[in-house]
Amino acid sequence: MPNAILDPTGRAGQAAQATGPALQLASRRPSLAGVRVGLLENSKHNAALLLQEIGALLVTEQQAAGTELTSKVNFAAPVAADIVERFRGDCDVVVTGVGDCGSCSASAVADGIAFEQAGLPAVVICSDAFTVTADAMAALRGAAGYEYIVTEHPVAVLTADQVKERAKRLLPEIVAMLTRT
Amino acid sequence: MTVGELDPDAAQAAVEHCYEQGWSDGLPLVPATRPVVDRFLATAGRQADEVIGRLPQLDRAVTVELAAINAVMAGCLPEYFPVVLAAWEALMRDRAAAGGGWQSTSGPAPLIVLNGPVRAELGVNAVGGAFGPGFRPNATIARAIGLIVRNAYGIHPHELEQATQGLPGRWSICLGENEEDSPWPPLASDGGVPPGVSAVSATLLRTCEFVDNRHTSSAAQLLTDFADTIGRSGAWIFRHAGAGVVFCPEHAHLLAKAGFDKERVRAWLAEHSGRSTAELARAGKDALDGHGVRLPGEPADHERAHAAGTDPADGPEFQRMLPGAEPQNLMIVVAGARNAGISMVLRLFGAWSAASVPVTGPGSTSIRT
Repeated sequence: MPNAILDPTGRAGQAAQATGPALQLASRRPSLAGVRVGLLENSKHNAALLLQEIGALLVTEQQAAGTELTSKVNFAAPVAADIVERFRGDCDVVVTGVGDCGSCSASAVADGIAFEQAGLPAVVICSDAFTVTADAMAALRGAAGYEYIVTEHPVAVLTADQVKERAKRLLPEIVAMLTRT
Repeated sequence: MTVGELDPDAAQAAVEHCYEQGWSDGLPLVPATRPVVDRFLATAGRQADEVIGRLPQLDRAVTVELAAINAVMAGCLPEYFPVVLAAWEALMRDRAAAGGGWQSTSGPAPLIVLNGPVRAELGVNAVGGAFGPGFRPNATIARAIGLIVRNAYGIHPHELEQATQGLPGRWSICLGENEEDSPWPPLASDGGVPPGVSAVSATLLRTCEFVDNRHTSSAAQLLTDFADTIGRSGAWIFRHAGAGVVFCPEHAHLLAKAGFDKERVRAWLAEHSGRSTAELARAGKDALDGHGVRLPGEPADHERAHAAGTDPADGPEFQRMLPGAEPQNLMIVVAGARNAGISMVLRLFGAWSAASVPVTGPGSTSIRT
């Protein structure tokens, strides 16, 4: 009997475990009137501006109560537990992004999933150049098929006016994702 | 077993099996079996289940055992394994390699530099063609790191690895320092390990770029050539950027004879490597955003400067590329043959940890004594 060929991944026989219970999205309200919006920007260029514009539109057009902007210190890593906890106390919904690089696109999706698991409806904005890595992360988190908002790459080169325009264009989709039942 | 008794058809089938599992970096792998992996583990004297790296964002971890399996598959010999472990540990001291660096659009390569007696013991190339190819330990130790990233961390191209172009030889940059032909103390002593002790230093590279200067005998001219290459705008994306130089023996000796030790070389290059603000403006890199990323200055600033008849970004002032003159920001190595004045500028992904790792293990004769 020849020797077996050893598996170098440490995942032999673990594929079945990945299919745990599907992600339960946090329950949504039918309207965003009066909700407090958490904005988690990942420090990629134009991310903070885009999220602030979206936050402002949610306040003026959807009567959200207000916004709270926080920055990720390390865009490659998942959101820190203390930020999730703080948003759980201070906010009713979260908008996060922009997934605009190799590691931050994946971690933005992980963050969206973390907020949903903490009971906060969340929207992740990711550039269309990074959907494969974003989808791979969703599958790793046991949430294959997790939906996020895809916007045209690149975001980093947009002018301030173009960012405003982009925020306006994404708004209906963001509202729909935060209020769908 | 004699050559006549070997079974190349069985070997071929085993190699194809490894391809089918998705384990390969594109080249054939050596299938790992229990007896071979046990021989590797015996050289390291570490617990097989010891965790030597974690990537929390992907919920993956690498153990000594998984590192050994991947080192076997890369084509290492058992006695290379303590060096693979030391190289991995040295990379884990690099902020980017311990974080999101492996997933990055820049597709950085590990640079692995070996010092001390382990070079001769393993037959590591430190002289002609130090960047390869042609030498088993150089080629397979670096490849083992790439296979660990691929298999134990599950970072595959086009999926969780998002390199825009990557770089040539991404998993093959491992070289010995040519200590015997260097006028300076070895790299590992800048990383806290005394000379004479086998040690590994490692960081992530964006790329490297040659400086060919064979006809000057002036240290100032030679250093000016290096400063120009180090300071070019293409490699410059944040406020500062780290670099390094792998000097060929000829360049190193020219500088040493002119009174330059490593510290003076670093100080000179830190002062002279860079571009003027006006030059950076022409490349759209004169301004900084709130996170320290270089981008074009406001068009309004440029228009005002034009109206006033001054240079856009009115910047004759010189901006230094290197954040400082410490070994972290400008690593200096000596390697290669003493046959021409050809050296290599290193483009660091971040900063070197300046924390080298001694090579240890019961199978190694190069343990600190």
